[in-house]
Amino acid sequence: MKCAGAAPLLGSRPGELDPVEDALLSAHLSTCDGCRARQADQEAVARVLEDGLLLEAARRDFTGFADGVLARIPASAWRGAAPTGPMERLREFLRRHRILAVASALAPALAALALYLYIGQTTGPGPSELAIEVTSEDLAAVVLETSDGPVILVGEGSDGT
Amino acid sequence: MAPSDLELVDRARGGDPEAFRELVVRHQRRVYAVALGIVKDRDLAWDVSQEAFLRVHQHLGEFRDESSFSTWIHRITARVAIDVLRKERPSRRSDLADVPETVLQEAAPGVLATALGTDPQETVLRRELSGCLTDALRQLPDVHRTILVLREMDGLSYEELAERLGIPRGTVMSRLFHARKKMQALLTRYAGIDAPGSGERS
Repeated sequence: MKCAGAAPLLGSRPGELDPVEDALLSAHLSTCDGCRARQADQEAVARVLEDGLLLEAARRDFTGFADGVLARIPASAWRGAAPTGPMERLREFLRRHRILAVASALAPALAALALYLYIGQTTGPGPSELAIEVTSEDLAAVVLETSDGPVILVGEGSDGT
Repeated sequence: MAPSDLELVDRARGGDPEAFRELVVRHQRRVYAVALGIVKDRDLAWDVSQEAFLRVHQHLGEFRDESSFSTWIHRITARVAIDVLRKERPSRRSDLADVPETVLQEAAPGVLATALGTDPQETVLRRELSGCLTDALRQLPDVHRTILVLREMDGLSYEELAERLGIPRGTVMSRLFHARKKMQALLTRYAGIDAPGSGERS
């Protein structure tokens, strides 16, 4: 490879050249002081470019910039902002339906209260456990006497089945 | 702890203007720097930056969390800036203001890099050159200025540059080389540095 062929390859990033280009460039750079110097220049230009533009931006007074951007966004664009992720959609739904959010947060407590009041109002004894208990090596069952009749609950055996 | 960009994006998508304001404030200077690098006029760069943020807001729903927000916003900025350049100069050849050949010949290989050194700390010369960079950029043709900024500020790869600019990969590489060479020549002249050229083969 000659300098004219190597020049456009200078300034490439790792992995950007194909293996052949990469090998040819490496071989050329190992023997050509001029192209190594050019490569250093290319890197120096990149550093100065970034530094210079950021310095220029740092000097500028940005007072009012963000206000200017927000002033150009119509109010309808904010109302119409569409949530995309599932959590975001849930948050947005709850934000828009605060009553539902409060109700769903209180639901377990309300259910517990209702159950407590219901049990308190019933006069007779609650479901009584066991009239019969059936057991065997692999099976255990409990029969509950309920107002709807006996209910058999089959449990796990001692071996976990 | 300050919220991440992604958290602010989520909140802005949900209709929170203050979250979007925070994103603007956080990224405005670098966005302006990218715009200035391409359009080279400070007031025009200001307008381009504002327009870029408006487009960002319009397309927040399309932003995918797996990519960096800053990368996404800089690419939108570059797109807006290039569109503005094309509208501003629809009938002019982009390389009318090309760097004179005499300036190019003054730039011996390695002179700039040697003068700046490899110390990452900011040297006086580097600070001085940064200060006159915008003047140097103004002297570059649009095509060279644009490709330099897209490469060095936006970090676009050869393939991305080829796609964005609609030119073959080989053209990207040679255009980049010439753009840097011209920039190097201008900066060397600004810095008033000169030295014998390094040896070279061809």
